Amino acid sequence: MSKLFFDHLIVLSEVDRKIKSLAKSQEEKEELWGLIDEIVHHRVFDLILGKLPKEKHIEFMEMFHKCPNDEVYIMSYLEKATGENLGDYIKEEFKKFEKEILSELET
Amino acid sequence: MAHDPPGTTYKINKGKIDTEFLRNKLKLKSLEAKRSFQEKYPHAHKFLADRGVDLAKIRQHSAKVISAGALTGTLLLSPPVGIDIRAPLEISKNVDKPLQETFLGLLKSALPEKARPLLRTEEKSLEQVFQEVIGVKTKATLEGEHLNTTYGYIGAEQHLKRFAGDSMGVHPAVSEDDEGMAPGRGAWGYVPGDVEKWYAVVQTLYLPDWSIRQPYLRDWYKYRKVLIVNTKNGNAVVAAIADAGPAAWTGKHFGGGPEVMNYLGGPRYKKGPVVVFFVDDPENKVPLGPVEYNKVNVPILALRQV
Repeated sequence: MSKLFFDHLIVLSEVDRKIKSLAKSQEEKEELWGLIDEIVHHRVFDLILGKLPKEKHIEFMEMFHKCPNDEVYIMSYLEKATGENLGDYIKEEFKKFEKEILSELET
Repeated sequence: MAHDPPGTTYKINKGKIDTEFLRNKLKLKSLEAKRSFQEKYPHAHKFLADRGVDLAKIRQHSAKVISAGALTGTLLLSPPVGIDIRAPLEISKNVDKPLQETFLGLLKSALPEKARPLLRTEEKSLEQVFQEVIGVKTKATLEGEHLNTTYGYIGAEQHLKRFAGDSMGVHPAVSEDDEGMAPGRGAWGYVPGDVEKWYAVVQTLYLPDWSIRQPYLRDWYKYRKVLIVNTKNGNAVVAAIADAGPAAWTGKHFGGGPEVMNYLGGPRYKKGPVVVFFVDDPENKVPLGPVEYNKVNVPILALRQV
């Protein structure tokens, strides 16, 4: 089993549709999925650390390292530490990210 | 000497350029994201590097943590759901209560409110419910194998190619909202017609040991039968695994071919919560297709459409 605490926040259906329409083999599809995965991971951490006070960065990283799958535990910690609904923030940022990727692919 | 028909060469080149273009763009974006993260948060990057974790591959780290049994936090704090199915089943028989209604009640008792990986005790309860109520013997863990998750969201998939040149021109559409046919082949190549009609997609690519236990796992999962239960209406179908996916960032954990999705939730059903267990069928006697436990005694609860 492999689950990350932010999986439920990221839905890039149009990017997926694009990949599925272009990939000619399973290997190619999985390679492209993997590249999106890498971008998503870096973006999520970038967004979170950008909102968290610097003195809490390592505390969060330790929490993630210990239970990377636990969405309730980590998201409630983040909301308490930032005083913001980080879930909604990440969702909104990824809507923009999807548009950005799609428009780049059109150019 | 045979020549390509007019336009063919252009089409082939265009397809090739498109895929390469997409790959290059994504590679570039991935490198940019990596560089930007390292520059902005060197202490976080160092924290992960010191522990041998690459941010690009944190899904593998999660799989390792979970398979080591180190479940922490919420999952352990929430009490496992356990149920006794005897009383509801007896009542159902005695008062002629629709079986589907009983089944839905049991599912509600056995499942957590939100879809998440299930605990072993929860999976055991459900195995019992599936066998006793709908008559299908299932296992969440079969022959030591377990799916990436057993309770999650299923999404609509396209038809899979059954042979070279297969297309929607020769494949009947299931509904007006049919997703059409996937351009490439399934993860196991062309799919036999009977399998294609009732096929499922699971995230084999995210299994923690997928890349190291080959070719065993690839063979084990090929056309493996699973029971898919729509937890909102109780509709159930036996399907064969014939493709890998969906990607983790789609909000879905499983996929169903057009016939599967149509049976689970009707022609407009595109996504919804389901439980997926392996069918324990060593003699290969369980047919693919709908499990019609609810056909006879539930005339009012025709919950096909959600």
